[in-house]
Amino acid sequence: MDRRDFLKTVGVASTTLLTKNTPLQAKESKKDPKEFMGILVDTTRCIGCQTCEEVCAEVNGLPEPDFERDIFKDHIWTSEKQFTVVNGFETEKGDITVKRQCMHCNQPACVSACPTNAMEKTPEGPVIWHEDRCMGCRACMVSCPFGIPQFEDNKANPNIMKCFMCWDRLQEGEQPACVENCPAEALTYGKRRDLLEIARQRIYENPDDYYHHIYGEHEVGGTGYLYLSAVPFEEIGFRTDLGNEALPKKTTGFLYSVPFVLTMWPALLLGISKATEGNEETTKSEE
Amino acid sequence: MERTATAPDVRGEFKRFIRFLLSEMKPKGKLITPFNVFAAITLVTAAVILTIRFWKGLGAVTNFSPDYPWGIWVAFNVITGVAFAGGAYVLTFMVYILHLRKYKPIVRVTVLNGFLAYVFYAGALVLDLGKPWHIINPIIGHAFGLSSVLFLVAWHFLLYMAAEFIEFSPAVAEWLGWKRVHKVLESMTLAAVIFGITLSTLHQSGLGALFLMAKPKIHPLWYSEFIPILFLVSSIFAGLSMIILERTISNRVFRKRTSAEIFLTNDAIHFGLAKICAVTMFVYLFMKVIVLVHGQHLSLLTTSWGIWYLVEVVGFVLIPGLLFTQSVRTQNINLVRIGAMMTIIGIILNRLNTSLIAFNWNSTHRYFPSWMELEVAIAILVVQVLVFRWIVNRMPILSEPPRWAQEPEEAIDNRPIKIEEEQEKWKVSIM
Amino acid sequence: MEGFHYVNLFATKGIEYLIVIGFLILFILYWRYLNKPAQVKPASARSPLRTLNEWFVLAKNAYYHQGHTWALPEDSQVVRVGLDDFAIKFLGKPDKIVLPEVGSKVEQGEIGWQLLLDSKEIPVVSPVDGEVVEVNQHVLQAPEELEKDPYDQGWLFKVKVPRMKTNLRNLLSGKLAVAWMEDTVHRLRRHMSGELGVVLQDGGVPVTGFARSLSPDRWDEIASEFLMNK
Repeated sequence: MDRRDFLKTVGVASTTLLTKNTPLQAKESKKDPKEFMGILVDTTRCIGCQTCEEVCAEVNGLPEPDFERDIFKDHIWTSEKQFTVVNGFETEKGDITVKRQCMHCNQPACVSACPTNAMEKTPEGPVIWHEDRCMGCRACMVSCPFGIPQFEDNKANPNIMKCFMCWDRLQEGEQPACVENCPAEALTYGKRRDLLEIARQRIYENPDDYYHHIYGEHEVGGTGYLYLSAVPFEEIGFRTDLGNEALPKKTTGFLYSVPFVLTMWPALLLGISKATEGNEETTKSEE
Repeated sequence: MERTATAPDVRGEFKRFIRFLLSEMKPKGKLITPFNVFAAITLVTAAVILTIRFWKGLGAVTNFSPDYPWGIWVAFNVITGVAFAGGAYVLTFMVYILHLRKYKPIVRVTVLNGFLAYVFYAGALVLDLGKPWHIINPIIGHAFGLSSVLFLVAWHFLLYMAAEFIEFSPAVAEWLGWKRVHKVLESMTLAAVIFGITLSTLHQSGLGALFLMAKPKIHPLWYSEFIPILFLVSSIFAGLSMIILERTISNRVFRKRTSAEIFLTNDAIHFGLAKICAVTMFVYLFMKVIVLVHGQHLSLLTTSWGIWYLVEVVGFVLIPGLLFTQSVRTQNINLVRIGAMMTIIGIILNRLNTSLIAFNWNSTHRYFPSWMELEVAIAILVVQVLVFRWIVNRMPILSEPPRWAQEPEEAIDNRPIKIEEEQEKWKVSIM
Repeated sequence: MEGFHYVNLFATKGIEYLIVIGFLILFILYWRYLNKPAQVKPASARSPLRTLNEWFVLAKNAYYHQGHTWALPEDSQVVRVGLDDFAIKFLGKPDKIVLPEVGSKVEQGEIGWQLLLDSKEIPVVSPVDGEVVEVNQHVLQAPEELEKDPYDQGWLFKVKVPRMKTNLRNLLSGKLAVAWMEDTVHRLRRHMSGELGVVLQDGGVPVTGFARSLSPDRWDEIASEFLMNK
């Protein structure tokens, strides 16, 4: 091998070794970055069997939900013992049952509010909670527009309890327990992008069966859980006055100005202090 | 005591110092007084309640609920309390930045109160946490929630406590007689003051920013994107009103410890503070009007919530503002005191409304603190007062600093001609 | 904002600006109102009172001798003379005021008259040179006038001053007078630090004649220090 070939070989070999994990792979991940997964809830298909409540309690080690409850008369919300609830509503289009749980927002207020990063929005979509970081300050509870995070205030070591989209199961390649076990196929798990397509398609193909709106597409900046309904969403217990702005954006005005205050104020105060040093007036004249 | 020219008597000094400390630990004044008895009962009860709280969980002693995750320990002791501690940053601004010497006599006591207030708010905050042992997480960097306003507020509390302590520490050095340390600490005062004012601006408004994301949950009359600015401006007259209240009480309780200078300037200070409050409240009221107009919520004023809003703003901001105005114009110090009391009520109402009363106003139930929560909330204040009293009775806070620590007379130093020279002029007639 | 209807993000801006204009106007008016004292004291135009240290009052355009007496020119030749607020509060209401006779001469810096308090004679220096042309009979009969209005109704006597300009140049006025009064206060404070609380009533206003409460025997000596009459 002559010198030129040698250098070429070494060059190619080293570049291959060096770039094995860097530029080329980075380009690939840019082409296919992790996308949010989500769950589509089609309330026109839901039969109110509460199987989702049951399996959710099972896989999360929670006490069995109360099946004696009349889901139409006795509406409940999530609690520290129940991550997901089914409530029934009597509407002019018949009885509609709705599964509610953490919405896994695109820009969650709870994540932004958490001072310890205990609440985390994973790149895959689900919003999860880390026990080893949480201080139990409950800022997440204050900020969540849906009132989802619950606090175990009857324990000496209390946790924040909410649906985390069966994160451990997702790591194993499984589907969330509620989706997998829904007998009416009312729940669909998939990429949020695809779910929106499915939802739009259903509305387009059956325009009389659906109210023409996908709840969660834009609300509070978009959520991971998307809902379809036969009636306007206020009638089945949804807040429709939340706006489309992600809630963390409401704090950016304040938080973004902090570094500027921290730089301007000291200089300004020092300047004023030096400028007024000759000030001997003990009294402002009371004229 | 004469010192020999040989080696300094280190052991003797140390013994004297220990004896001094021990004598300072003894109670100054009667032990059995109505207040002391009340304090003792309150503290013992609180200790019992807190034991239960740590053993059985927060739910056993508080009335927290999913709709009301924060109770009075946060809403009152922390959020309202911080507003009242605003006197420290306003006063240090006036004295050290604007050089208004008129207020200098009370800077120390105000800074001390500010420092103690923050220490006890931090304490209240820790008591309120579900997992208080994790409080070190956002401090040591295990988990910096940089996007969180609460993270910023918590850090500011820490830094501000440090700044206030530095501002107040010369008094400690004077008490202990540490002259060199005193000099070093005094040189750091301006930096600590500037830092403190900067931090205060941010965390006073930051406490308001805590609620910015809760827009869907707070009644529109109390929610706006301008909450931080409103909290900042109201913290000015909240803090100054608290100073007036403290002066009224301290002048009576600590009369014997109070220096002549504080008595001398008492009235002037009261009227000065009243004036500042009056002007700030005037501005604040206009800001409230603009916020109402901006949010297009004027029609809500006729609802029952609207009436409550008017009670808070008209009854306890506008009216005390007018009282302050009149007090300055008629030089009536009683009006100042009444105005301050009403302002304090107004601030309590405003902070509690935003964080508790108008929070989740659509909820099916209302939150009311349990007696145990109230007890602990009061106990926290009682401890703060006890510590304040301990310090004031021993350190030169209200009393004059020791001779060696007193500044040279600025009045003479700054004037071009000394008085002695003037005297000579008398004898010689100068044309 | 679903994107199907017009939404004006700045709908209220116009009204807000109007409110701001209203605020600016009202603010100026309010500020002036706040600073106008409610009681209009019938003080003479020549001596509007200005509080200093909020405790001892100094008349604004008077000239002060460091012995705590003042001189106020009535015209180019005659001045009114009196005792300043500090001295009066310090000594208290005198039992008797002994003023120089009309026609007698006084000298700047020299003893001009006396006060009788508790059977002690307190000499007072004169702030100017000249001939006494008038004496305030009213104050002789009613010494309490001294306390009530030391710079106006409480004037003591009038002096015809031949060298007005020179005399006045030796006296303190304006900022210097303020600084001197502050110094007096500092000296006083240091003299009796801590005890001053005893002599002040609620509200921080000193009890007149507090010198006597501080030192029942030596008060006249302390007074001399301040009145420079020895």
